[in-house]
Amino acid sequence: MVIVPETIKSLELLSLGDPARNHLTAIPGLVECWCELMWAALRSRSLPLSPSCSSFIQQWRLGLSNLNRTLCSVLTETTDIGDNKGLLDLQEVEKVLSDVKADNITVIPVKKHCDFADFMIVATGRSPWHVRNIAQALIYKVKQKQKGAKRMLLPSVEGQEGGKWIVIDSGTLIVHALDEKVRAYYNLERLWTAETSNKEQTQELEKAFVKVRRKNNSKKPVQSNG
Amino acid sequence: MAHPRIYCFFHPVITNLHDIFFLFSKQNRTFIQMRTKLKVVDNSGAKQIMCIQTLKGNKKGARLGNTIVASVKEAQPGGKVAKGKVVYAVVVRAAMQRGRCDGSEVKFDDNAAVLVNKQGEPIGTRVFGPVPHELRKKKHVKILSLAEHIA
Repeated sequence: MVIVPETIKSLELLSLGDPARNHLTAIPGLVECWCELMWAALRSRSLPLSPSCSSFIQQWRLGLSNLNRTLCSVLTETTDIGDNKGLLDLQEVEKVLSDVKADNITVIPVKKHCDFADFMIVATGRSPWHVRNIAQALIYKVKQKQKGAKRMLLPSVEGQEGGKWIVIDSGTLIVHALDEKVRAYYNLERLWTAETSNKEQTQELEKAFVKVRRKNNSKKPVQSNG
Repeated sequence: MAHPRIYCFFHPVITNLHDIFFLFSKQNRTFIQMRTKLKVVDNSGAKQIMCIQTLKGNKKGARLGNTIVASVKEAQPGGKVAKGKVVYAVVVRAAMQRGRCDGSEVKFDDNAAVLVNKQGEPIGTRVFGPVPHELRKKKHVKILSLAEHIA
């Protein structure tokens, strides 16, 4: 990766330069950026979506440059990206969903415990037609963004026939459009917001099957051996 | 419950007799076909299913990420599916290796599946055990989003 020496150089520059406070607080951010970029490269390798392996790398770099604008001037210079033609952005998706009047929009950041996506957005539709409409609106938005490009990269849509659960997979962003009943049935928020605690719950179940000695409430003293 | 093992390996290059012997002594795992028993790894109530038919029209059989028609052979008493019911299922773990786009291959210790209805929506609400990335390309993101661990 070409980026790595640049970031190390900029790290040294920052440390040698001003001892001002904002520089000092900015340094760990840059290290995080670098680590995340390494992880992004590894992760994008493991994603088997064939036409868009390189566009994922581009999207990752863009997303990180939006986070720390002060520092990442170095990063954005070194990375050669076109504009983010690819797929959807978080703010755009929220705007589209509010336009379509989807209920109960929940955004779950799943970066930490999820390899294949950054954010999961869950929205409810009032009827199957409404759910399909939400999906169509998002795809229309993507088509508008990519107008004039030679090859359009559309997000994949699952679940169109039965209008109960439609998933729109646009790389780092996954949008779930559900019926109300279906949302209560699958309960995706509980799964993704409390993922670490879910694992703890299963461990407690194992503990529950371990035999525990009864409390001795009798008046007789406990006979201990030896 | 032992966590199923996942293997990822590159093909060895044949350089001498020793390598050829090593290749022939490996078990050659094949497809999931009629009469194959699969473990059910969601909380839909079924425990063991037997494959009846592979969809998608592949004559040889189903692989990782394909949908099959199966009959429930063993089920939990209070579950959503009963024994003997014919269901659709998606194969999420297969003992046969599946190639990835970077040249590596994945294979698991067991054959496992998730029950699905005809429209492709999972009947259960949670998927246990590791689940490979291949499901994303096969348009099974719903199962991926219900999974607890993604290989």
